[in-house]
Amino acid sequence: MTALRRPSRVRREIFRAWAITKKDARIYYLRPGTMMFGLMFPLFLFISFAVGRDLPPQALIPGLVAITIFFSASSVGPVAVPTERRMKTHERMITAPISPLSILLGEIAGGAVYGAVMTAIPLIIGMIWYGITIDHPIGLLASVALISFGFSAMGIMFSAIPTENPGDVMMILNFVRLPLLFVSGIFIPIEEMGRYGIITLVSPLTYANDMIQYSVGGSSAFGPEIDALGIAAFTLLFLWVGVTLHERSRKTA
Amino acid sequence: MNSIEVEDLTKYYGDFCAVDHIDFDVESGEFFGFLGPNGAGKTTTIRMMTGLSTPSSGTVSIMGFDISRDPLDAKEHFGVVPEASNIYEDLTAWENLNFAGELYGISRSERRRRAAELLEAFDLSEFKDKKVKGFSKGMRRKVTLSMAMIHSPDILFLDEPTSGLDLQSSIKLKEILRDLNRRGTTIFLTTHILEEANTLCDRVGIIVRGRLAAVDAPEKLKRTIQASQSVEVSFDPAVPGLAFDLEDLPAVTSAEKKGDKWRLWTQDPSLVAASLFEYGNSRGLKIVSINTLGPSLEDAFLAIVNDQAKGDGHQ
Repeated sequence: MTALRRPSRVRREIFRAWAITKKDARIYYLRPGTMMFGLMFPLFLFISFAVGRDLPPQALIPGLVAITIFFSASSVGPVAVPTERRMKTHERMITAPISPLSILLGEIAGGAVYGAVMTAIPLIIGMIWYGITIDHPIGLLASVALISFGFSAMGIMFSAIPTENPGDVMMILNFVRLPLLFVSGIFIPIEEMGRYGIITLVSPLTYANDMIQYSVGGSSAFGPEIDALGIAAFTLLFLWVGVTLHERSRKTA
Repeated sequence: MNSIEVEDLTKYYGDFCAVDHIDFDVESGEFFGFLGPNGAGKTTTIRMMTGLSTPSSGTVSIMGFDISRDPLDAKEHFGVVPEASNIYEDLTAWENLNFAGELYGISRSERRRRAAELLEAFDLSEFKDKKVKGFSKGMRRKVTLSMAMIHSPDILFLDEPTSGLDLQSSIKLKEILRDLNRRGTTIFLTTHILEEANTLCDRVGIIVRGRLAAVDAPEKLKRTIQASQSVEVSFDPAVPGLAFDLEDLPAVTSAEKKGDKWRLWTQDPSLVAASLFEYGNSRGLKIVSINTLGPSLEDAFLAIVNDQAKGDGHQ
């Protein structure tokens, strides 16, 4: 009986989680908060870093891609979840026949798709404007999918903060996101950090940046396998903490 | 068969007991009202029954499925209309219904059919492609109700459904609920409008300070307080400040002004009615209307709430 029911239930959960992803795309992708932190913020942050430096585009663009995917994928959840708490629409999903994990996976997929789409902007600019080439296009697609999902899970984890104001989540999230930028080998190459380079290992952005550097330019500090493992490990951690915190706040409601 | 079975349901917030070991059943096809003063535990109870909050102890069974152990099976069988209309303001009415249908796994063709049917039933067809942020409160309520009904649930939970609605929308909503119930939907309604419960519900449960004080049919609850019969009278001209005189009439226990009428509580309505004619003649007052009234659900509710409060006070 269980063996017969399981595939059906999994299919139902995927279908319902996808409905949440589509709903998030319709409502939150063009929200000012999402656009501000997902597109404008990484773009201007990178411009302020790159202007006046004599760095080749092949080295610059992967960094811009990593920052864009980092900020954009992790920005949808922190806007969507507190907003839905305030509007009580989050309760609509909880009273529907869909598991809490699938609700979060639907929300995470919403952020991941947004992150992947936003990533196309610096990539297209790099390819058309600066003529950069991509060494491993399939690897890049796989990297973008994996990294977007991981950073979106990070955003969902922070959205468990019990508030109805997206600004509160964004503020705390930026306390984490901004320092990570400087310990992930984007602005300061890992090899130039000397003995402090070990700090980079605790940042998911390090592996993301390294994976994108490998896919675009072919160079990598750790190798794509280690990068993929690192990102997968952080994704599972974000997912586990996120599900636990969201579930705890539901139980105490 | 029971659609809902609640056993020993309890909710603590820290040391505060919001819902205190309550038990009740709701039969299939029943219109059940859940009443109580503000802060009595109505919303906490409905939140536990719909899986929004986890009970500290006790169980809730929905169509035979335990909401804590088999939440997905239980949730397939009900729709929820919360006190605040929880709709997506940036989506159109059609998109809101479509999303609700997707959450219940309804096929695209069935979603379209049900959404069109519900929008038609609620007179919203011409607004189906408009974003709901521009809708009135009544229209939002209708969209919320439509979303709760998209999967034709066996049970509908409604938390203060007419709250904030104008009279016309409120009457229309009640007609829709009666019709749904006639067609077999079990309805669990929380309300503080006693007349609503009186005219809609087969049975009502009254919760006071987290404890279930009574569960019975409205008429049976009224019969438990036969002592509070009354006579309602309206004089022309209406003279303010009459109450002191009226309270002195034979067999009148108390008097209360209700708009342009006075309500006199008594155990002997016929004696009071006779006294009122005499009273009017002696003062040159014409009696516009006079009615003897049995106890209302409001009287029963107040008596039960006060008894419970006194009981708690003695503990």
